Amino acid sequence: MTDIQNIKHKAFLFDATRCIDCRACMIACSVENNIPVDKTRIWVAGVGLMGEYPNLGRVSMVYHCMHCNEPDCLSACPVGAYSQRPDGPVLYDHNKCIGCRYCMNACPFGVPHFDFNKGLLQGAFIDKCTMCPQRIDIGLEPACVATCPTDALMFGERTDLLTEAHSRITAYPTRYINHVYGETENGGTSYLILSHVPFAELGLPNLGSTPVRDISEAAMALTIPFALAWGAVLTGVTVGVHQFNKRKEQLAEAEAKAKPEETK
Amino acid sequence: MTNTISRRDFLKLGGVAFGALAIEQFIPPLVAQAAREAGYLDASDSGYIPSMCEMCVWRCGLLAKVQNGRVVKLEGNPDHPHSKGKLCPRGQAGLMNTYDPDRVLSPLIRVGNRGEGQFRKASWDEALDMVAQNMLNIKTKYGPEAMVFSSTHNLSQPLFENLLQAFGSPNYGTQRSLCFNAMTVANLMTFGMEEPERDYSQLKYLILTGRNLAEAISNSETGDLVHAVDRGVKLIYLDPRFTKTAAKATEWLPIRPGTDLAFHLAMLNVIIGENLYNQSFVAQYTVGFDEVSSAVQQYTPEWAAGITEIPADTIRRIAREFAAAAPYALAHNNWRTSNFVNSFQTERAITILNAIVGNWGTTMFPAGSGTGLGAPKQPAFPRVSALRLDGVPWKYPFVPLQYGVIQELRDAIVAENPYAAHGWFITRQNPVMSIPDRKKTLTAFAKMDFIVTIDILLNDTTWFSDVVLPEASYLERYDPLSLVGDPLSAVGSRAFVRQPVIEPQGEGKSSMWIYKQLGDRLGLSDFFQYKDEEDYINQQLAPLGVSLDAVRKQGYVDLPVSNTDIHKWTTSSGKIELKSDSLDKAGFDGVPKWEEPPAPKSGQFYLLTGKGARQTQFGTQNNQLLHKYDDEPGLWMNTKVAATQGLNNGDMVQVASAVGQIYVKLIVTQAIRPDCVYMQPGFGHLSMGLTTAYGLGSSDSDVRVTYTDPISGGQALSQTFVTVQKA
Repeated sequence: MTDIQNIKHKAFLFDATRCIDCRACMIACSVENNIPVDKTRIWVAGVGLMGEYPNLGRVSMVYHCMHCNEPDCLSACPVGAYSQRPDGPVLYDHNKCIGCRYCMNACPFGVPHFDFNKGLLQGAFIDKCTMCPQRIDIGLEPACVATCPTDALMFGERTDLLTEAHSRITAYPTRYINHVYGETENGGTSYLILSHVPFAELGLPNLGSTPVRDISEAAMALTIPFALAWGAVLTGVTVGVHQFNKRKEQLAEAEAKAKPEETK
Repeated sequence: MTNTISRRDFLKLGGVAFGALAIEQFIPPLVAQAAREAGYLDASDSGYIPSMCEMCVWRCGLLAKVQNGRVVKLEGNPDHPHSKGKLCPRGQAGLMNTYDPDRVLSPLIRVGNRGEGQFRKASWDEALDMVAQNMLNIKTKYGPEAMVFSSTHNLSQPLFENLLQAFGSPNYGTQRSLCFNAMTVANLMTFGMEEPERDYSQLKYLILTGRNLAEAISNSETGDLVHAVDRGVKLIYLDPRFTKTAAKATEWLPIRPGTDLAFHLAMLNVIIGENLYNQSFVAQYTVGFDEVSSAVQQYTPEWAAGITEIPADTIRRIAREFAAAAPYALAHNNWRTSNFVNSFQTERAITILNAIVGNWGTTMFPAGSGTGLGAPKQPAFPRVSALRLDGVPWKYPFVPLQYGVIQELRDAIVAENPYAAHGWFITRQNPVMSIPDRKKTLTAFAKMDFIVTIDILLNDTTWFSDVVLPEASYLERYDPLSLVGDPLSAVGSRAFVRQPVIEPQGEGKSSMWIYKQLGDRLGLSDFFQYKDEEDYINQQLAPLGVSLDAVRKQGYVDLPVSNTDIHKWTTSSGKIELKSDSLDKAGFDGVPKWEEPPAPKSGQFYLLTGKGARQTQFGTQNNQLLHKYDDEPGLWMNTKVAATQGLNNGDMVQVASAVGQIYVKLIVTQAIRPDCVYMQPGFGHLSMGLTTAYGLGSSDSDVRVTYTDPISGGQALSQTFVTVQKA
């Protein structure tokens, strides 16, 4: 398994204690990526307001593609519409997509979303965050990060951001949950999250560090040996049954032949 | 109840809001299409044009990415201290104001009855001639004072003021009396300046009184606040609502509306009574401490507890903590508190609190003011003898002439007292939405022989106009560099330029051009001695020895730094005036005293308003990108109260006050005091020319009652009490 602390990917760090739910990131993304007005690549997740008057709290999270180190969408795609760049961004090619929606089922974060208004010939069924390669390739931050007025979103090398996240937890141990979500989840993601409330309240699934795809791939790896072995078994059974039937017939024939003699 | 959009809600929202209309209509028309066609964006230096945002008055610096003559993306300008490379949601969505399918793209002349929204297209010459002719007719028949002018804070405002003063009218309305008069007049009386600058860099303790920085975003200051909280600054937040700022606070105090003054008087009581103030600062730099000291003796925390509903121990502890943190403490002077008639004295108490603990020079500074810009020559304005309709200064001696009291102006128009007005020239303003008691505003409109508006959209005021002059949007035009009396555009020692990043859509023109054209037609050419916009700016830059072309690329010009003594104040005493003799002489309280504001009767609620992060007042609701990501408007009511009234989330309710009633969707939430309801202003547009915003929510202006603070002229916005029942 990869050393998930040292994945050489670009990554985001989101700090829920800094987010004011202004949604500048969502608008910046929409403009930058020319997202139609009825679609979005970023959502606000989380429970929002918590508690009862006057004992209240609030949490919200900017939610978009986690850019997993080992992307389940990519594994599940039967036509290779997904790819992963060496520096991390998980990309989707609408020209290859057949609209099967396996990626939607495979993603443990529910990120890829389907455009039910589009037919087979119009393509681009699925949409999701790309990490703005058109920006990061020329040294800019992704649109959502660049505009965040409170620096709730940061962008950089995953290793650096992990260090930053842990130093924040160390500096303010009572403020944060003592865990960086995405450091290990699903084999490590490039969207790292700090929070003051349990991650479940941000709508994040409780995942182990073994990526879903490792489990599925391990299982899938057994397919051929299993098929061969099972084939052999079935062949054996078939042959056995055939032999058994043949023998039975022979015996019956022999018996039939013998009987008249006996009755004679 | 939450106000976040979950994924599922987003899809639902999409279905509800957009389902009824053809999707094509909502695809941002060509926005970013050029970028898509060209592949990845080019970020070479020449690819960005620096200018200034106008989605609110914070005026961030922006960098516009332009391809094939279209703006495809806006970024914050890292060189501008208000943006620091970032833009808020409104700033990010700014290009949709320019590409709004509802843009007015040619001059319009009304053909139907007022309010029917029927116009015909006209040429600029015809429209301008018509405006000038009507203005001259009114001047000849009734005198220049019968022509009323109003506008909202903008960079071309000095030229608008030129037009009205050259025309000879004293009647001028701005948005200020509906916004921050209480704060700025209090600062003027105490420090001799409208608004000292706040500095968060050394801050350790902050009190925000109704200053909802996380939602009423001032880009850089909102960032400063969150960073301050991040490094452990203690934040005390007073607000009847649990806002997104409250969520960041160390302590949220859901204070009873209208009683912020009592809280701050008790703070003064403890800090002075326990000798926690900065004695050397007070002795050296202030006047009137003894009067304040004796005046606040009666205002104990125990007294304040009964009024504010904040425990006495809490007030006492906060006072001690605040004084201990000084001079690295700040009681934010806000833009306004939950406005009541005592808000001016609340703001005064806050200024005094900062002064006596010696925060001046650590967390508060004089606003940066560069100098050295030139201006075109012009003759002296004609003498105006007529009284101002809004009572400034004859009824409101402390309100600056440039602020005015627009709600009183409207009332005087309706009453025709002291005289009748016959024409109204409105630019970049929407008084139909902003002034309380909308019915009355429309009555004032009905009194007019002639109404002309300048705007980029058919907003609600434009809808009732006789002539509409289409302005170029802020991405399509120049505005003057602006310094004097306008700290927002000169930041530190830099003046930033607003320059067109694309050609105007249709026939849109800059205000600088429109005012000059009108000046020429009104025989006032001498007041507009510039060839065009660039010539005007070059005349401004001339004393600095630079030309516009030199400034264009970096977007700003460095100004000569004037090293002023930060311990000199332009008050009459030259010191910080804890007690104001001028107020005393005019028969007002020279030191703040408690004044009990009116409260709702049983069965009524305080009607609170306040900004949300995606909208600026009344002009952004039609922006499709903001609309896309905004929450549905509605009326907040406390969960328990709603339950006892048998009201459910999503019910349509009738909200009624002494002046009117509205129907609005109920939002049941834990995040508000039981005696209050809240709605975000800016919805409930009357104009059907706003196809995105029309039909959304209701306007608080339909139920707001007009109350004017006699000192600052500020509208007591929260002094409206309403009943709420199922519709």
